[in-house]
Amino acid sequence: MLELREQTDVLVRMRSDLLRALEQPVERRRWVMVIDLRKCVGCSACTIGCIAENKLPPGVVYRPVLEEELGTYPNVTRRFLPRPCMQCDEPPCVPVCPVNATYKDENGVVVIDYNQCIGCRYCIPACPYSARTFDFGDTYVESTAEAAGLIVGRDLADDHERAASFEYGVQWPRTRREASPIGNVRKCHFCLHRLNAGMLPACTTTCIGRATYFGDANDPESLVAELIGRPNVMRLKEELGTQPRVYYLM
Amino acid sequence: MLKRALYLLGGLALLIGAWGVIDRLTTGHEQANYGSYVVWGLWVAMYLFFAGVAAGGFVLASLDYLFHLPLFKGTGRVALWGSLVSLAAALLSIWLDLGHMERIWKVYLQGNPNSVMFQMVWGYTLFGLLMLAALWLAMRRPESRWLKGLMIAGLPLALFVSGAVGALLGVQAARPFWHVGLFPVQFPVFSLASGAAMLLAAIGLFGRSDDPRRSQQLWTLAIITVALQLVKLYFLWADFSQSMYGNVPLNVAAVNELLFGSYWWAFWILQLGLGSLLPMVVLVQPKLARHNGWAGWMGILVLMGFAVARANIVFPALTVPELEALSTAFSDPRLQFAYFPSAMEWAVTTGMVGLATVAFLLGNDRMRLFSMPTVEA
Repeated sequence: MLELREQTDVLVRMRSDLLRALEQPVERRRWVMVIDLRKCVGCSACTIGCIAENKLPPGVVYRPVLEEELGTYPNVTRRFLPRPCMQCDEPPCVPVCPVNATYKDENGVVVIDYNQCIGCRYCIPACPYSARTFDFGDTYVESTAEAAGLIVGRDLADDHERAASFEYGVQWPRTRREASPIGNVRKCHFCLHRLNAGMLPACTTTCIGRATYFGDANDPESLVAELIGRPNVMRLKEELGTQPRVYYLM
Repeated sequence: MLKRALYLLGGLALLIGAWGVIDRLTTGHEQANYGSYVVWGLWVAMYLFFAGVAAGGFVLASLDYLFHLPLFKGTGRVALWGSLVSLAAALLSIWLDLGHMERIWKVYLQGNPNSVMFQMVWGYTLFGLLMLAALWLAMRRPESRWLKGLMIAGLPLALFVSGAVGALLGVQAARPFWHVGLFPVQFPVFSLASGAAMLLAAIGLFGRSDDPRRSQQLWTLAIITVALQLVKLYFLWADFSQSMYGNVPLNVAAVNELLFGSYWWAFWILQLGLGSLLPMVVLVQPKLARHNGWAGWMGILVLMGFAVARANIVFPALTVPELEALSTAFSDPRLQFAYFPSAMEWAVTTGMVGLATVAFLLGNDRMRLFSMPTVEA
């Protein structure tokens, strides 16, 4: 059995873990993410996958990959650290919101109610991980020419860019400057809309090195429960007491 | 002559501001230079500044309407009016900074009372209404007991709102540069100092030439301003020296950025040199401090110094990455740790300064802000 499990792609196992977790009452689930830094090659596929999935505009990024060079020649190495939202159990960003637009939902994920957010950005500096960004309404095609004869001019590209994202299970077209999520703070939400449809987060499925794991930590049979029980686990800035739900394997 | 020049400059500033506001309203935040790392820019700094002047001005109005100090009898209206126009500029600045200006009502009807920002919005709303009522009474029924009651209620409210500005930043534990327990204590002192400077400027430049108390008023305000500047400098020293000795990397980096980084000129030249030391040197000299022009313009310089000081509190803390490699993790103009306001941001702020200036001048012309006591003090 153990051998079979080891031969199975972790994505397959995590998917079955996910489906099992979804059968549980929501309050019994504890979504966590585990990122194996020894496996991450810094390809940023997760960053791009996330941008594509959530149709993120310029300046909005949910999961950058931080790159560090450590040591001195000849003992040098590079380390890559993907940084999604930590979905803290004690999130400093939540109590500062003047209108309760950001909160931990029943899944324990820190979410933003786009229609409630006033765009004051008070939550952004409150996050010790810089995991929140503001949607300024910028577009990639801002200075693209509209001249005839181009294969893809501004009109076509613009249409694609203004297509709706499906965050939080709602359609969010970028057709009007004054409509959310433009003017809102945005952040990673563990792809809640995908989870509810029985799919793993986009960053997890796009990771070419299988370095990102996702699942229900309350399920002792799950892969993530197994991984976070290891001694080589750390969390970012644990000393702040924010209780992140993102774990790193060193 | 001076008034005409100020009207002209104020009007010009309003025109520039109109362009900025139109640009802001039609293109949203697209033309702003702040981003998701340096998330608050010039408008937030100016909000902190104008709000501080408003609270300080109100406290100084109490010298007339609450404490009935003979020397300051007749200066209450100008203090209240200066305070009110400052509050208007503050609230307009911060309103334009919101991503969704049209949702401001949510803070009142669907707010989170645990948020310092919620408390501040409510506090400033009450403070503004109270100030309007106080000004109305001061104009129409200066002897009313209600005016004294409003001043009594307003004093702790002024302390609360100015302290709340410090708390707004101070509660941010993720930013060691701001997370200073004394921040909510420092800001009321800053407010009082900027209120004193505002009154110094008002009396120095626009006070009644037939008021024999004028030079003594200026001298007293000069002493108050200098004393509060000294307290401010002590706070500055305490903050920076503790940060450097404490050696918390994020904190040290922010202080270094301010003292020796991209904002060095704003700190050393504008805030410390022109905004603090020069006015102190001038104002401790009785002859100059009693001189209308010198005192007035030193008041303006102190105000300018406080405006720069607010920016120097907001920007440097945000220019330090919370995770070291974040600055190179993702390239985008909105994800930079350097910040200098854009033309649109400057234009809006210029407009706010113009608004406050022109409103103050109009009030001075139409409402007889300065009055003389009927009985000689």
